Amino acid sequence: MFLKSITTAKGFKMGKSYIQNNIRRLRFNADEMTQQELADKVGATRQTIAAIEKRKYSPSLELAFKIAQAFNTPIGDVFTYEPTAE
Amino acid sequence: MSYQEKENIINIFSSLLITTIYALIIYQKHLNGQFDLTEDFATWGVIFLIFIGVSIVARIIIYIIFHIINTIALQKEEEAVSDERDKLIKLKATRNSYHVYTAGFTLAIIALAIGMPIYWIFIAFVICGVLSEIVDNVSQIYYNRKGI
Repeated sequence: MFLKSITTAKGFKMGKSYIQNNIRRLRFNADEMTQQELADKVGATRQTIAAIEKRKYSPSLELAFKIAQAFNTPIGDVFTYEPTAE
Repeated sequence: MSYQEKENIINIFSSLLITTIYALIIYQKHLNGQFDLTEDFATWGVIFLIFIGVSIVARIIIYIIFHIINTIALQKEEEAVSDERDKLIKLKATRNSYHVYTAGFTLAIIALAIGMPIYWIFIAFVICGVLSEIVDNVSQIYYNRKGI
C-alpha cells in the first residue's frame, strides 16, 4: 500500500504510530458516535480523530485522557502501546 | 477536502499570483526607465515595503472572496478550527519553509561571492520568499494527508 510505513535507520516508522487504539469500536458501542461528535466532545477536529483512528497521529497525553473520558473508560482500554505490532 | 487544505491551496495560488503580477509591473517600470534596479538599491527597499502592504491587502481580499465562494458552495459556513495536531503540522511546515529560505539565502550569498551583481540578492529574496511559502503550504497538505 502507498501509505505503508517507511523504516528509517533508527527503526522509527514514519506514517504509522506504534500506539494502537480502539476508538472505532468504542464509537460503535457508543450508539455509533460520529467522529465529529467525538471531536466536539474532546475539543479536537474531525480530521485529528480520523488520523488517530488510522494511527497516523499519536495524540498528546491530555487529548488521550479526554478521549478516554468521553467514553467513560480507562485510558488503557482506548490506547495500547505495541511496538512490535504492524 | 478540509478547510485547512483549501486554505493552503488558496495560499499557494495567491502567493504566486500576487508576486508574479507585482514583479511584472516592477519589471515593466524598470524597462520603461522609471528607475534603474541594477544600481538604485534604495528603490529596492521601497519596492519591498510597498510589496508587503500590497500583499497583505490582496490576501485579505482573496480570503474574503474564498470564504464567500466556499460558504455558497457548501451552503454552510465553515470555521477554521485548529487543535494540537494542526499546530504541530504548522510548526513542522514552518520549519521546512525556513530550511528553504535559508538555502536560498545561502545560494544568494554564494552568488555574490562569485561576483554576481548585487541586485541578484534582491531577486533571490523574492524567489526564496515565494518558494518557502509554497513549501510551507505543500508541507501542511502533505502532513495532513500522510500523517505526522
